[in-house]
Amino acid sequence: MNYLYFLYIEFLAKHNIPQLFGDLTFYIIPCCIIFAALLVVVLALVLFERKLLGWFTQRKGPNRVGFWGILQTLADAFKLLCKENITPKGADRFLFNLAPVIIFVPVMIALGLIPYSSEFTFMNFQTNLLIFIVIGAMPVLSILFAGWASNNKYSLFGAMRSVAQILAYELPIAFCILSVAVLGSSLNLTQIVYAQSSRLGVLGWFALPCFIGFVITFICMIAELNRCPFDLPEAESELICGYNTEYSGMRFAIFYLSEYAMLFANSLLLAVLFLGGFLSPLGKFLSPIIFPPEISGVMVYFEQAFWLFAKTFLIIFVIIWIRATFPRMAQFDLLKFSWAVLLPVSILNFFLMVIFKYLTGGGYV
Amino acid sequence: MNKLKLNLGPQHPSTHGVLRLILELEGEKILSCEPDIGYLHRGMEKMAEKLSYIQYLPLVDRIDYLAGFFYSELLCRTVEKALNIELSKRVKAIRLILLELNRMASHLLWIGAFLMDLGAVSPFFYAFRERELILQYFEKVSGQRMMNNYFVFGGVRRDIEFLEDIEEILKILPEKVNDYEKLITENPIFIQRTKNKGILDKNTAFNFGITGVNLRASGVELDFRSGDYLYEGIEFKPVVLDGCDSYTRYRARVQEIRESIKIISQALEILKSEKDLNQNLLNPFTLSLPEGEYIQEIEAPRGLASVYIKSTGEKTPYRFKWRTGSYYSVNLLRKLLKGAYLNDAIAISGSLDIILPEVDK
Amino acid sequence: MNWAEFQNIFSDCRLYGDKIVINSNLLKTVDFIKTNYHFDMLKEIIATDNGDGSFELIYRLFSPDDEEDLLLSINVKDETESVSSVFESAVADEKEIYDLFGIKFIGNTELKRLYMPEGWVGHPLRKDYQENDERLKWNE
Repeated sequence: MNYLYFLYIEFLAKHNIPQLFGDLTFYIIPCCIIFAALLVVVLALVLFERKLLGWFTQRKGPNRVGFWGILQTLADAFKLLCKENITPKGADRFLFNLAPVIIFVPVMIALGLIPYSSEFTFMNFQTNLLIFIVIGAMPVLSILFAGWASNNKYSLFGAMRSVAQILAYELPIAFCILSVAVLGSSLNLTQIVYAQSSRLGVLGWFALPCFIGFVITFICMIAELNRCPFDLPEAESELICGYNTEYSGMRFAIFYLSEYAMLFANSLLLAVLFLGGFLSPLGKFLSPIIFPPEISGVMVYFEQAFWLFAKTFLIIFVIIWIRATFPRMAQFDLLKFSWAVLLPVSILNFFLMVIFKYLTGGGYV
Repeated sequence: MNKLKLNLGPQHPSTHGVLRLILELEGEKILSCEPDIGYLHRGMEKMAEKLSYIQYLPLVDRIDYLAGFFYSELLCRTVEKALNIELSKRVKAIRLILLELNRMASHLLWIGAFLMDLGAVSPFFYAFRERELILQYFEKVSGQRMMNNYFVFGGVRRDIEFLEDIEEILKILPEKVNDYEKLITENPIFIQRTKNKGILDKNTAFNFGITGVNLRASGVELDFRSGDYLYEGIEFKPVVLDGCDSYTRYRARVQEIRESIKIISQALEILKSEKDLNQNLLNPFTLSLPEGEYIQEIEAPRGLASVYIKSTGEKTPYRFKWRTGSYYSVNLLRKLLKGAYLNDAIAISGSLDIILPEVDK
Repeated sequence: MNWAEFQNIFSDCRLYGDKIVINSNLLKTVDFIKTNYHFDMLKEIIATDNGDGSFELIYRLFSPDDEEDLLLSINVKDETESVSSVFESAVADEKEIYDLFGIKFIGNTELKRLYMPEGWVGHPLRKDYQENDERLKWNE
């Protein structure tokens, strides 16, 4: 970020604009970038999922609006925008309206914490990781508001299920993430990524030594995102649509899009923690063949961002694949699975990682 | 703890029509279940008393739109038996093939819908893909995909054609059913959701009048096809599994598809050797049954279906009564859902294969 | 089943076609047949309006072991005993008959309108049911 800051200030200085203006505006730019990028990515993700689900089930998926159905989600969003917002009778109006407003906030903050490339983190604190964990559990608050305020029994069930589920799955995920922090000797995401760098590329990733942690984090992440097979809070065939049953129009669209935004943010985190983040999987030896060393400056950051997004979309692909394959779990099995299986294993994994770190001293590849 | 009253339906994605279950819940545990039906009532029995037999025949497919052939066969059969009309071998084989194809289509749809209830998206589309083959064949033969109205009193509307299509279906289906089994049967989450859920033991099943696959999945060898005149000379084994739970009911239905394939291929042989249609059609406009009471039964996909006609010798029946399998399955929900959890409730009611137009008649 | 033995116990019954016709003791007879001859299933109850104010109820009992049917017929006025204590499936049948014929079954606690809406006057399958009344005006 410092590098970009200097570039920006230099650019302004060339055009005789005072540095004070630069200091003030510099932090507005990333906010706009995040917001714009998020919208594009989310709209793309919705299309991605629908297309993939279509292919998995031997359909074509959306293919009418725009070339290859590219504008389908945009058209859907526009349709929802034009629809009437209905507040049900007996609903708690304040909370009912508040819920969709606050659901996007944690996602935006979370996206600011991700290192997209070595210099490009919007909010680079020493304890990025911890903040992400805290922020990541925030959307449940909004879901609880939505379910409670809707004055609908199905919504209430969905909200309650969601809270129980996130409580159960937050602990194993914390232990797994802690073991990554131990391996990387840091709570800063950028440093964790650098700790995974090795000359052999893939071999340096934490997904290898901490494979159990990787799998558990992946499972818990799906559960926290309320996605199949853990989509109990919004089980369509049971609770109709769970907490967003009563929402219509743009409010529903916000819930819908925020799910995808959360999916994107969490997949980014998983890629950063376990799959080497912005590092090239080909290692320092092979990478120059594909990306010649002549490219430098800003292009390096684009290469790094490319790798990060490639990994993220791979993870999202797997999640969608799982959705196309599995039926939904039952509520009790779901909670039992977390408390009785995932939590003990993740604690065990944490101690294993501590021992591993002690024995290898970090530089194991 | 406070009790919560929950209306499951009549507009609910997984009640397969318009079933309304009034549940009393404690947390997610169901204390009592009260099915409320009648949202799809069309007065089938009342209509029968007003219409002549030929006027009533096209309506009969609508009783169960997924297995319409069975109900038109049932009405045709009752009239034919009452008037002592013998069917030729070819007509019998044609009816048998269409009935079994219909049974497969119905079971395929059930597999898709059941897995949809459990939250799996894909099997629905896979099952519909194969069902489409069967429906397209129906369309070729009778001009309709669902409400076929193909059987008439004393025969069929016209001779069957496109036998190579049936052979194609028989060739494709076993592979596809194997595919479903690979995807579903061994799936740990599926097993977790269905095994030991919705246990229906033999005596309860008898007591509640449950028939068909649901009964055979409780270890009772009771298949009304074995005494059926259409199935004379056809070798088949009723699918009897002893598991009593939702999982067994699923497996029984999948196996029944395989069994149907065997029956159809035997009937195809008969069809190839008997070229002469030799129909004995009745004049529908003068048709009336002699005075008396007539009862006929058939093994429909959702259990025993039977018809009772009391005739006084007039053109319209004096009393017409349907018995359908699903009607008793809905009644069974009162017992099976007691003590289950909300998300099991969907799985259990799905596993019984309830179809609402059949319940409401 | 043994007809002579059966007739010894229930003296007022007779064979009519393939039906056994009884005049009273419905619940006792059904219970007796179930326990002694293993007619474990009640396939259905068929009600017919005789047109003279009485109704014929046919109980189709079924023995799964022998795959044998038994038709038990009884003529009733507006009221009769419920067999739901013997066969649970009778609850459903009796509900339907109550709705369509208006026959009350003593002992069945769940009798209420099933197909017809609450507050509907008359029972549609009765022969004296008035059809062209005010309530169907919206349909024309």
